[in-house]
Amino acid sequence: MSPRYVMVIDLRRCVGCQTCTAACKSANATPPGVQWRRVLDQESGEYPDVRRTFLPVSCMHCAEPPCAEVCPTTATQKREDGLVTIDYDVCIGCANCIMACPYDARTIQHEPRWAYGVPMAHELARADPGRLSVATKCTFCKERIDRAAITGQTPGVDPEVTPACVNSCISGAMLFGDINDPTSGVVKLLESARHFRVHEDLGTGPSIYYIWSET
Amino acid sequence: MKRSGRALDRMSPRRQTSWDARAATNFICGGAGGGLLAATALASPLGVDLRSLIVLGLALVGLGLLAVWLEIGRPLRALNVYRNVATSWMTREALVATLLFAAGAAAVVLDQPAAIWLAGLSGIGLVYAQGRILRNQKGIPAWRHGLCAALVVATGVTEGAGLLVMAALIWPALTPFGVLLAVLAVARLVVWRRYRESLRGVGVPVGTLKAFDAIDVPFVWVGHAVPIGLGIAGALLGWPIAVALAGAAAVVAGAWFKFVLIGRAALTQGFALPQAPARGSGRPGVGARPGWSRAKAQ
Amino acid sequence: MTADEPVRRVPTFCYNCVSGPDFLTVKVENGIATEIEPNFAAETVHPGRGRPCVKAYGLVQKTYNPNRVRTPMKRTNPKKGRDEDPGFTPISWDEALDTIAERLKAVRTGGLIDQAGLPRLAASFGHGGTPANYMGTFPAFLAAWGPVDFSFGSGQGVKCTHSEHLYGEFWHRAFTVSADTPNTRYVIACGANVEVTGGPTAVIRHADARIRGYKRVQVEPSLTITAACSAEWVPIRPKTDPAFLFALINVLIHEHGLAALDQPFLRDRTASAYLVGPNGLYLRDRATGKPLVWDETRRAAVAFDTARAVPAVAGRFRVATAVTMDADRVRVNHAGVEGTTAFQALSDHIARYTPEWAAAICDVPAETIRRIAGEYLEAASIGATIDIDGHTMPLRPVAVTLGKSVNNGWGAYECCWARTVLAMLVGALENPGGILGTTVRLNRPHDNRHLSVKPGDDGFMVQHFNPTSRERWEATPTTRNLHRTLVPIVGRNGGWSQALGPTQLAWMFQEERPADWPMPEPTHPDVWFVYRSNPAISFWDTRRLAESIARFPFMVAFAYTVDETNYMADLLLPEATDLESTQLIRMGATKYMEHFWDCHGVVLRQQAVEPQGEARDFTWIATELARRTGLLSAYVEQLNRGVAGVAPLKGEGYDVRLDPAEVPEPERIWDAICRAATFTLSDGRDTHGLDWFRQHGFYKVPVSRRSWYLTPTLEEQGLRYELPYQERLMRIGRELRNRLHEQNMHWWDEQLAEYAALPDWHDVPGRWEQALIAAGARTEDFPFWLLTTKSMQYHSGGNASIALMDEVSENLRGHTGVIIHVDTATTLGIGDGDPVEVRSHIGATYGRAALVKGVRPDTLVIVGQFDHWATPYIKDIERASLNSIAPMTLALTDATGSGADIVRVAVRRMERPAA
Repeated sequence: MSPRYVMVIDLRRCVGCQTCTAACKSANATPPGVQWRRVLDQESGEYPDVRRTFLPVSCMHCAEPPCAEVCPTTATQKREDGLVTIDYDVCIGCANCIMACPYDARTIQHEPRWAYGVPMAHELARADPGRLSVATKCTFCKERIDRAAITGQTPGVDPEVTPACVNSCISGAMLFGDINDPTSGVVKLLESARHFRVHEDLGTGPSIYYIWSET
Repeated sequence: MKRSGRALDRMSPRRQTSWDARAATNFICGGAGGGLLAATALASPLGVDLRSLIVLGLALVGLGLLAVWLEIGRPLRALNVYRNVATSWMTREALVATLLFAAGAAAVVLDQPAAIWLAGLSGIGLVYAQGRILRNQKGIPAWRHGLCAALVVATGVTEGAGLLVMAALIWPALTPFGVLLAVLAVARLVVWRRYRESLRGVGVPVGTLKAFDAIDVPFVWVGHAVPIGLGIAGALLGWPIAVALAGAAAVVAGAWFKFVLIGRAALTQGFALPQAPARGSGRPGVGARPGWSRAKAQ
Repeated sequence: MTADEPVRRVPTFCYNCVSGPDFLTVKVENGIATEIEPNFAAETVHPGRGRPCVKAYGLVQKTYNPNRVRTPMKRTNPKKGRDEDPGFTPISWDEALDTIAERLKAVRTGGLIDQAGLPRLAASFGHGGTPANYMGTFPAFLAAWGPVDFSFGSGQGVKCTHSEHLYGEFWHRAFTVSADTPNTRYVIACGANVEVTGGPTAVIRHADARIRGYKRVQVEPSLTITAACSAEWVPIRPKTDPAFLFALINVLIHEHGLAALDQPFLRDRTASAYLVGPNGLYLRDRATGKPLVWDETRRAAVAFDTARAVPAVAGRFRVATAVTMDADRVRVNHAGVEGTTAFQALSDHIARYTPEWAAAICDVPAETIRRIAGEYLEAASIGATIDIDGHTMPLRPVAVTLGKSVNNGWGAYECCWARTVLAMLVGALENPGGILGTTVRLNRPHDNRHLSVKPGDDGFMVQHFNPTSRERWEATPTTRNLHRTLVPIVGRNGGWSQALGPTQLAWMFQEERPADWPMPEPTHPDVWFVYRSNPAISFWDTRRLAESIARFPFMVAFAYTVDETNYMADLLLPEATDLESTQLIRMGATKYMEHFWDCHGVVLRQQAVEPQGEARDFTWIATELARRTGLLSAYVEQLNRGVAGVAPLKGEGYDVRLDPAEVPEPERIWDAICRAATFTLSDGRDTHGLDWFRQHGFYKVPVSRRSWYLTPTLEEQGLRYELPYQERLMRIGRELRNRLHEQNMHWWDEQLAEYAALPDWHDVPGRWEQALIAAGARTEDFPFWLLTTKSMQYHSGGNASIALMDEVSENLRGHTGVIIHVDTATTLGIGDGDPVEVRSHIGATYGRAALVKGVRPDTLVIVGQFDHWATPYIKDIERASLNSIAPMTLALTDATGSGADIVRVAVRRMERPAA
């Protein structure tokens, strides 16, 4: 069976530190204000029994991606291995996919934007005009996953072929791996704990699972 | 001068910011234009030369498409819009629009009933495609609701009929179509009511309800009571001015509704937390769905 | 790997907060740093698994920030002040360094100490010693110089966990106190916010503990991130933690009883059995002066160290003859006197502090307090053992941890004492699973606290207090914060003792002094160095403090950007920052916070990219200053002594010393330090130079986990923890009172009350209300408590100007605003995101309301320290700050010289008025 990559995020561990948010921005050179992933911070309950949950969100790489369905250009595609991709050379920036995504995962940036108004050396070095005026989002660090096929490494195990956010996580909250591989860490964790997916009722089949309790 | 930080709440639904007045223009003009083509086809057996209305319909659709072309990020690649007929209603809208222009042009040039009827059908097709575009946007609860597409279609054809009867000022023979307008307005009112009731039932971002609540009274009175009353009265009494006013009210109200639908009422899904996690030996906690009118269980 | 490769990954470290070093790699593409990544080669070495926290990801922006100071600059406007444009103008390094050297030489000519007896050179460094990890060999320059005044704090004392530092180090060599998180099962955290301040090490350890099923009860007025990640949140009334902790002790002793506690530990490792006389002093053997215990086998009082004695832990006993030793060595002979064991005295003392009593003060139900005490005792599993590296040790997996504003300021002594007593009662002090000290700063050597444990008085560890005897007390202060004069416990162990003195006194007494002040008037230092420190933002009453700074005659600031402090500088020097410069530092063994490792060693921060503009490596700057000031040979000698880090450059079997007659290049210095470090760490097996480190990043040797715990060291030396009865502190307090009163000084009397053998509850929050009344304000006009809390994005990073941190911190609820309980806000007509004014009796601060349920309705919280007006980027963003409206007063200064981040305020819906 071909691999299908998923992410499992253990909410019992997450401390909302935004290290993954920053690591993603570092790895993917996203402009200021564009966060392909971020950690939400939500209260629930009533005082004094109030809870505060840190919920890392990004593109959910859905099994039934509504973004791909509505995309008029086929720029957004669902790959065999589970990744939802965008071909920046095909996308027309119509924003249809942004409306289709119930996870607020996509952005279109029309103008170059710099952290301090003027470009810094590292921003210039990595500025990609091809990403302007088209939809962008979390790619599950596609280039790294693709490299695994060449190097023989295992995404989720070898950091070189694992998404930057997962690598960066200081609380060990994030696992990445092949849900079709019964020996993978993600499968074992999912089997050992109770989990949910966000907006599961919308039928999107998100590939990010959230652990909230032991079984 | 100090600037303050961005919104504090990141979980709740927020108003979509990707489609502005340009996209709304496409839904307003495309819907009205498509509806007008359909209404014109219905009126064509009268024997009046209504080709100028077909031109108006095409112009409206064209204006809408021009507006959306100005909105997309990569206008030079606009033809890529045709690449996903398999699943994308935006592609289908583009195809229907192509057919609509071909048929409309043929109708204007050849003045053939077949071409006029084809243009009219394309107009309906365009309105339907626009409804389906919204219907498939899972990220906007107000749009993905099944009755939203019906409402978009209903308002499109109502606006088309409204534009048609406004032409009664030029061609009084069109005055009886005030009845058609009234019927369509009744249909739109029924759908509007059911749509809002249903939104309340299934749960929707609070901001969406507020946006609709704010327009409900004028929308019902100007967009429906006036067209129904004046449309029927004008048709029965043979007053072109009355049906023209009825048509104008229906058109303006429909346009205003769609402007609100695409803008103010278009709140995103936001995020829901089904469960608060257990921390250590502590118990898991209740979840949250901030910004929603009703916390629907997942 | 060479510098010419188009893409390189350079190993280095982040030490922007005390929870470092955290390992990382910098991706360098065509000479430009583009990404920060973890250092996976350190995954099994670093307890944080080779990962840095969010702050490190801002280092690339930090490097290329266009707002950096890129050349040396001099002030052209002689007037200083917030409203005076400094007119900074670029100058050459030669001009800058020569200007400083001239000043310094003039200082030396006039004498290093001025007419007031104070050092003429002062230096201020930022958070928790972290600047030392970035200032290269500058410590060697300062050591070569001579006396330097570190009095002018940028927050230490009031923003650090001050009482914990001082008393923690006194009781168990614990400058910082941590739970033994890898082994613990139950933690009561009074405000300790480790998920934010403990770095990746604390975060992963607590996350692992959560999965393991440990329970952490967070006792804190607001639902901070750490509270959020805890099993239970107890929203206690601000500053009432002593009452809560006293009640826990009460439940353990009076409801569960001595039989349920760790009696062997109490008897053998503490002073519980020492007999206290009716005058509150230890009853001592008349001949030897040793404290007496009641030997249950002999049924007589004997010296505490009598062989085969079995001391009674509890009880009252008739002692035939004894002597007590009071302050100023006043001896009183006793005959037929009743001796009460220290534990009994504790038991008697704590009897009145029942859960019901505490409930009314803390706003925590008595049943909750009782349950928590019971859970704590049960989890302590008294009698259980664990194997640690082949040694069977007690396993006492319970801990009480304290956070800032709980363990500093009034009430902090009580909290620190109660926390340590709670550990003592169940044997969880410095035993596996319990509470640990993780570094020493007031004792030496800094890198191994066990070596600081030596026999002292009365069977306790030796202590190095500042003398309070008539002969040796420092009546004329030698530092501007009077640390030797006023704070015996802070000691006299160099810069750290000094920097942990009452730093706000240094600021306050520059401006005005008490009426009964017989000492010389404090002077301004002739030259003041400032690095990674912004007291005009990070201290209190910051608007007034900035005015005070403007009166310093000559400030040299090592400047990343212009900021609120260096706005008043005479010279700005741009140092090469984190990714641009080189330094080797120690790692591992035990360090601050939760840093206890399975290895120790050294790690290199290396130049990954060329410095921007004219920024220079700090080591180069230090060397040039030494050369131009005529201190080169003394500076090199200090380097040879190992002052710049890790090890002397000459030792048995190696000699990599530098020639004092030559100006050493930074590379040469660090190469020698690398070699000396590896030789000494490996006992001569390895010698690695700078090039080796550039490739490998770090060098380590294993250490036993047994070294995490101090108790075995005390056992080996037959020593006891100086608990629970604080006879020594009481005596010292009396001596200090005598000295001050002899000088007719009474302005410190209130503070002297803190020197109690067994602390009593006093109305701690009431002190803030009294201070308000004393300032002429009405308490009802300021009905809320304002607190502050830290965020990982900014904590100690000096990174307020980093846009990335601003962006990502906005994702956190309330980070950018004023946190208010939603019900309170509704009552006041304040909506989420509304502009609000938070006003104290000294001023106002402005921000956006962030409505939450996770805060007490009587409490507001502002995250971080902001309200900038000069620092680029952040000055344009509206963020409120407690510091702007927190007063600095003697009345709110405790006996250690500390204060706490808490203010009485009013809040209303209002925009910031136009300037």
